[in-house]
Amino acid sequence: MSVSDATTALTEALAARDDMIVCEGVNKWFGDFQALDEISAVIKEREVVVVLGPSGSGKSTWIRCINRLEVHQEGRIVVDGIELSNDLRNIEKIRSEVGMVFQQFNLFPHLTVLDNITLAPIWVRKKPKRESDDTARSLLERVGIPEQAEKYPGQLSGGQQQRVAIARALAMEPRIMLFDEPTSALDPEMIKEVLDVMKELARSGMTMMVVTHEMGFAREVADRVIFMEEGQIVETGTPEHFFTDPREERTKLFLSQIL
Amino acid sequence: MADTRAAAETAERGGAEDAQAVEALPPEQPGLPPSEWIRKNLFSSPFNSVLTVAFGLLALLIVRGLLNFTFSEERNWDAVRTNLRLIFTHAYPEEQYSRIWVCVGTIAVLAGLSVGLAAAETARRGVSVRKLSSSLVAMGATVALGVVLREPSALTDIEGRVRRDDSGIMRESFAEAMTDRWAWWLAAAVLASAGAALWFGFGDERRRETYVRPVELFMVGSAVLVLSGWIYPWGHYAFADGEFIAEPGRTVAMSTKLPWTVIWLLLAAAIAAGRSMRRAGAGPNFTLALNLCWLACPFVLYWVVLRDPDLDWGRVLSVDIPLGVLFAALGGAVLWLLTDQRIGELGRIIATLLMGVAVLNWVAGFFGWYPMLQKVRLSFLLVALAALVAHNFAGERSKRLRLLAVWVALMAVFHYMATLMNSPSTVETPTEALIGGFSVTLIVASFTLLFSFPLGVMLALARTSRLPIFRVMSTSFIEVVRGVPLITILLFFAVMLQLFLPDGMSISLIAAATLGYTLFSAAYLAENVRGGLQSIRRGQYEASDAVGLTAMQRTLFIVLPQALRVSIPPLVGQVIATFKETSLLAVIGAFDLLRMANNVIPSQTQFLGVKREGLLFVCLVYWVFAYAMSKHSQRLEKRLGVGER
Repeated sequence: MSVSDATTALTEALAARDDMIVCEGVNKWFGDFQALDEISAVIKEREVVVVLGPSGSGKSTWIRCINRLEVHQEGRIVVDGIELSNDLRNIEKIRSEVGMVFQQFNLFPHLTVLDNITLAPIWVRKKPKRESDDTARSLLERVGIPEQAEKYPGQLSGGQQQRVAIARALAMEPRIMLFDEPTSALDPEMIKEVLDVMKELARSGMTMMVVTHEMGFAREVADRVIFMEEGQIVETGTPEHFFTDPREERTKLFLSQIL
Repeated sequence: MADTRAAAETAERGGAEDAQAVEALPPEQPGLPPSEWIRKNLFSSPFNSVLTVAFGLLALLIVRGLLNFTFSEERNWDAVRTNLRLIFTHAYPEEQYSRIWVCVGTIAVLAGLSVGLAAAETARRGVSVRKLSSSLVAMGATVALGVVLREPSALTDIEGRVRRDDSGIMRESFAEAMTDRWAWWLAAAVLASAGAALWFGFGDERRRETYVRPVELFMVGSAVLVLSGWIYPWGHYAFADGEFIAEPGRTVAMSTKLPWTVIWLLLAAAIAAGRSMRRAGAGPNFTLALNLCWLACPFVLYWVVLRDPDLDWGRVLSVDIPLGVLFAALGGAVLWLLTDQRIGELGRIIATLLMGVAVLNWVAGFFGWYPMLQKVRLSFLLVALAALVAHNFAGERSKRLRLLAVWVALMAVFHYMATLMNSPSTVETPTEALIGGFSVTLIVASFTLLFSFPLGVMLALARTSRLPIFRVMSTSFIEVVRGVPLITILLFFAVMLQLFLPDGMSISLIAAATLGYTLFSAAYLAENVRGGLQSIRRGQYEASDAVGLTAMQRTLFIVLPQALRVSIPPLVGQVIATFKETSLLAVIGAFDLLRMANNVIPSQTQFLGVKREGLLFVCLVYWVFAYAMSKHSQRLEKRLGVGER
């Protein structure tokens, strides 16, 4: 057994069973630009983590690396005990465990709301259509728009579309939900309806990783706040600590600019 | 709790707004009074007035020229009227004509069902009575204008020859001409008064808000045409044994009025049936079945109905049926094995090996290494193809059984069709081809589209694929085909294809040409589809990846539906182009619509050198069909626009 094997085994042994996402020394470059710089973090089961930071700080890139929409070049990412590698089956497995909500909703415009939600359960989870329909309707109930099931995404408001997107991700019964700036493309009056759904989800015990600019949400719901800048994790802490007593200068500067 | 209630309220409000947006259409703007309209649109400035007058005069001159050409005494429209049967079916034997009527009837029933089922999806309500009545009046006025514009007819002597004097052809006076053309005046009056009756029959309000669907307009128009056959003996014909025989009293209308009436009634019944099924909530299964019927239609109508194969029962029982059963069973066993979830990567390897053997069979056939029935080669290829995609259908027992059922059905249909195609036809024609004229135009066009659409989509996907081998092959195919003129490809296929076929396989001129058209059209369709593929946003790919769809599922359910929708206008353009390009069949020696007008009719002894009439008529036929397709595509675009952002 070589030394590196031994360290790997050790880290895995040390990693508690309730670690949902483990990142170790993750590096990523776009051309010459280093987007992620030695990112290491652990997210536990049922934990709600909010990632903050100025635009271009690598928050979205990081969250997109976790379900391999972007490929990291160095370091390890382990999701629910499965390490991300080039093996296609691993990627498919992780993607069906991890739900993702996008800034631009990315609903399928040619399918009705119901079909948007049931497509993946039917074809990936191989569930019967009737069962998926029932699940989808109860999920729409949960996000507060049961009456929109037969409509097309283009007929819904932005807030409704984003709630459908959340329902679509939940229909796969994921163990982790990733939110990539879910309210940034919304009109102010629609932000609340989406945040309400996310709060309800957090209270239900879902493991969540949220990239957002909604400080109110971070303060109210987050178990932990991670602050990023220039591809690095600058500071990590509870919301109380983070918003009232930040240690780092860069965090203070960021907070003074937005609060 | 309060949160969800607020959310529900917002949602409700959103819903109500949407409902309003759909139902409360803005009122139609009351039109300007005619004098005001003319001033505003035609004579708004001195320069625009000059333009209006100058181009109006030009348009009148063109119309006059066209009318004089059409109704000139030198025109021999008998050439068209006598040869209607030749133009549409060439030498298809008269006693077998019921087969053609069965084909037309089948298509009418399918079309009626489709139209009836689709009617609800078209949100637009059609043409308002207001617009309809004004266009009827306008049509009446146009006919009247035409009557006045046409130059007076030439005078003829007792034998029907045109009388001439020193200054040229002798013509009747203008007043005589105007009174002579009473039938045209009558037509103009009927159109205009029908329009006026509609206009005044409805109140101002109802006129604007009553809509007539295009289908209803079509049905009324075709009813008038069909009924006219019972009153006026359109077109006299006689053509037998390659000889034109003048047979007074036998007219096209007399022999076709009954079939056309039956077909009109069938169409009406099918539309009604489609509508009532829609109201009864016929599900997507029915639409699927109907679309499958459309797909099967060209094959069944051509090989079963028109060709009427003469089956050799001894061979069918000893060779064809056992072969079909064998392949259904063997292929079924392979599929059952490959859809087992435990087989994993091994399954794909087996499928690839099968494919290798299938391709080897064709190579062997080409070099004549070992003899084999073509049907066996094709069946083997089908087994290999099914094996390649089998892993997508892996799953529980019931699902695998359903796949097997589909496979057995596919084999049954395939072997049935292959047997029919191999059997000689019982229909005897004096020519080499079974059927010609417009029928062959339609047959070649529909088979070309049927084959080139899937091929084109596959080429487009291959060209955008991540695998270099697919990308290179597809790109080189598309670029080669697009760099060669269509007529060259057709001539090449007509002459050379036979040389490239395995031993014992032969191909008719029409089939070879269809293959050429298919490859050509597929290359262009592929480029159109590729345009659509490139318009799909990255977010759609990311979202499908994020929910865990495989690459194939993503392509089938997310990317292709959207890409094809975007490319409808260029795709329909390509369909129309293909339809019109079938006229090149005349150049490679097939007896299509154009060849009838350009070569066949002018070489008949009665109509020696009479070309213009036929060509004008052929133009009209092509235009009617191409225009109908283009209109339909506009409606299709609107209908599919529902799901757009």
